[in-house]
Formats: sequence, C-alpha cells, structure tokens
Amino acid sequence: MPKERSASARIFSTAVFILLEIASLLMLNNNNTLQRLWLSRVSHAFMAKTWGACQGVAGYFMLRKQNDELALENEALRNLLRDYGVKAAAADSSFAPYTPGDGFKYIPAKIIKSGTSNQHNYLILDKGSDDGIKENSGIVTGKGVIGIVDAVSRHYSYAISFLNAEVNISARMGTSGAVGPLSWDGISTDGAVMREVPLQFRFEPGDTVYTSGYSAIFPPDIPLGVAGEAKVINGATNEVKVRLFQGQSALKYVTIVENIRAEEIRAIEGSPDIQKP
Amino acid sequence: MRNNYTLTYILFVVAQMILCNFFHFTPYVTLTLLPMLVFFIPVSVGTTAAMLIAFATGLAVDFFAEGLLGINALSLVPVAFLRRPLIEMTCGQEPFEQNENISLKKYGFGRISMALILEIAVFLTIYILAECAGTRPLWFIGARLGLSVLASYLVSILFVNLLTYDDRR
Repeated sequence: MPKERSASARIFSTAVFILLEIASLLMLNNNNTLQRLWLSRVSHAFMAKTWGACQGVAGYFMLRKQNDELALENEALRNLLRDYGVKAAAADSSFAPYTPGDGFKYIPAKIIKSGTSNQHNYLILDKGSDDGIKENSGIVTGKGVIGIVDAVSRHYSYAISFLNAEVNISARMGTSGAVGPLSWDGISTDGAVMREVPLQFRFEPGDTVYTSGYSAIFPPDIPLGVAGEAKVINGATNEVKVRLFQGQSALKYVTIVENIRAEEIRAIEGSPDIQKP
Repeated sequence: MRNNYTLTYILFVVAQMILCNFFHFTPYVTLTLLPMLVFFIPVSVGTTAAMLIAFATGLAVDFFAEGLLGINALSLVPVAFLRRPLIEMTCGQEPFEQNENISLKKYGFGRISMALILEIAVFLTIYILAECAGTRPLWFIGARLGLSVLASYLVSILFVNLLTYDDRR
C-alpha cells in the first residue's frame, strides 16, 4: 500500500526542520567568531531589506495623508510668498516680485466628486461656508483653471466645471498679448478654444495662454495652456485652439481663490454716482 | 537488515571523522560521505526521524572532528529533509509503495548518481558558504563547490553497494 504523507505530517516535519536548522545556526553562532560576524551581517542585511519593504508598503498606504499634508503646506507657502511680495513691493518701489494673488484669498480643497463625460460637468469640493468659501469664487491649480463655485453649503461647495459649454474665462495670449474669452471645446478634457482674438495681434502656435486678470474671479497670469491652430472667423477675429496644461480626469487637489475686493469691484461697476466717459 | 545498516552507518560516520581529521589534500576539495549515508537511510524511516538522525550525525562529526561546531548538522539536516522528494524525483513512488530500499541494482547507476549528486551539492553548498562566511571570493566558492561535489560523488559511489542490502547480495 502506498504511504501518503498527510498535510499535518508535512507541516510537522517542516517545523522540525526549521527547529534543527535554528539549533545548528545557534551552535555555529555561539562557538565561532567568524561565523558569528557573518551571520550577524547576513541577518542585519535581511532585516534591513525586510524593514525597507515594510516601510515601502506602509509609505504607499500613507500617500493619501501625505498628499493632504503637502497640499496644505503648499498653500501655506503660497500665502507666505504672496505676503512677502506685497511687503517687498511696499518697501522698495523698484522691486517687482511675482505677486499673482494680490487681493485674492487662497483655500486648498479636495475634489470629492466630479464628472467629465457630459457637456455640463460639475465638481463637489470638501470645503463649504464654514471654511470661508463664497459663491462665485474661482477654482484653480498651478496649471490652470478648473471651475467656478456656484453654490455653497456648510461643508461642501458645488462648482461648475470649466468643462462646461456655458463657462467662459478671460484669457490672454502670452504675457502681453490679445485678450479673449476661453471656453471648453466640448470634445476632450484638455482642449479649449480662445475666441475673438483680434487679427492685428500676432502669435505663434506654442505660445502660452494665461488668465488675463480682467475678471473679478481669477487672478492674472495663471498659465492655462498652449496655443495651437488658428482660423479666421468672419474675416474679423481669430479663433485659436488651446491645449490645456491641466487635464481634469484624475484631478484630486485644487485651490479655491476668492477675490477679497470682488464686492467693491461689483459695487463700483454698478454705482450710479460714477460718471462714465 | 536494519542492524546491519546501523553498524555500517556508524562505521561510515567514524570514517568521515577520520577523513575530516587527517585528509586535507587541498583547500579546494572537501570530501564528505555524509549525504550518501543519509540518502540510503531505509525508506521505512520517515523524514522527521531521518532529520533527527542527520542532526545527531552532523553533531557527532562536528564534535569529534576538527571543525566548526554546528556546521555539519546545519548542512546535513536539509539533505534529510530533501531525501524523500529526491527519491520520488529520481526513482518514483515505488520505493515507498513497496517499502523497498534504494539499490543500484534495481534503480540503475544513472538515477542513483543523479540523486547522490544533488544531495551532495545541497550539503556542500551550505557547508562551504557557512565555512567561508563571506570571506572568500565567489570564484573560489564556485571552484571549491564543483571540485568537492565531484570528489565526494566519486568516493560515495564506490561505497554505495556497502550500504544497500540488495547490492551486497
């Protein structure tokens, strides 16, 4: 009759094998200096590899928390940079620092829901009125404009995405070029069209498109994308294709920008006391 | 038969001790008969018992021969642990089904040689690595392993028929 080895017998013999090997290694370790040093080196190398791998796995699962912390830290640094720019400009009139957000308040936020597959896309952000968010605030990243806050609850904000047929933002071709409305092309998540670019302004495909700063929502000089092909519309203006820097399909962290003088600007725009030329 | 094997086993262990103490031809060659002894332990002896025998044998050689205490035990226990899979690989299930010991006469020179070479290689790999303890270059370890496996195999195959009842008849 064949003698089949049961699983328990195999486990038992494996356990005995491990025990006997450990006993042999202990004897070798305790009685021979060279072997002790070698075993110590091997075990340290093994431990270092094991701990390194464990740290790698733990680090991977900590990435979300670290991303959150980095987003907050970035925001704090941006605020510091902004304050530094304002103070330096006040102290020295010849100093011309980079002050993109002068007059704007920046609040980091996380996208908790977004859509990119419709013609009218929206976003829900994890910050609301309790965090100081107001309607008609802009949503940006370092690489472009994401949308505009439309409604605010205590803990969340509902925003209209830039990937929306109804949204236009004021954009400028190059740092001192033509200004025109930029809107989504309705096709791809990184495609846009800049319209009403006067024919007299020259530009080349590859020129960078920035926010103009002419709206009360977005600060100026946020890079949006690069110019592509252009075509003349009705013989009067150019329509330029723009490839956006910031795709929205996998976006997680954004910054909400609020123009702290928006009310004043709107008031002055609507004031009957001001004599218009 | 079992008593005969035990006596032969003990004699071979003593022979191994003498080899370890007095036969140092070159640093490139380590002669060993221990893997052969463990491989030819009767198949009726289970893996756990074979490992305990191997451990005791290794310790005895370590203790009575010039060597590092624990090194033969460390190297010989894996030989006993792998004995059954190696027999199954080279000779099939038949020895265990028939409860029949391994013999050159029945299973042939080729199969026994392959099993022996593998057993000796396992033993000597662990032995040489542990003895060199990271102090020797890889080429030396490789050369020593190759020459030692060859020499130990040639010596072992000479004595195989003394260990198996069928081959002695």
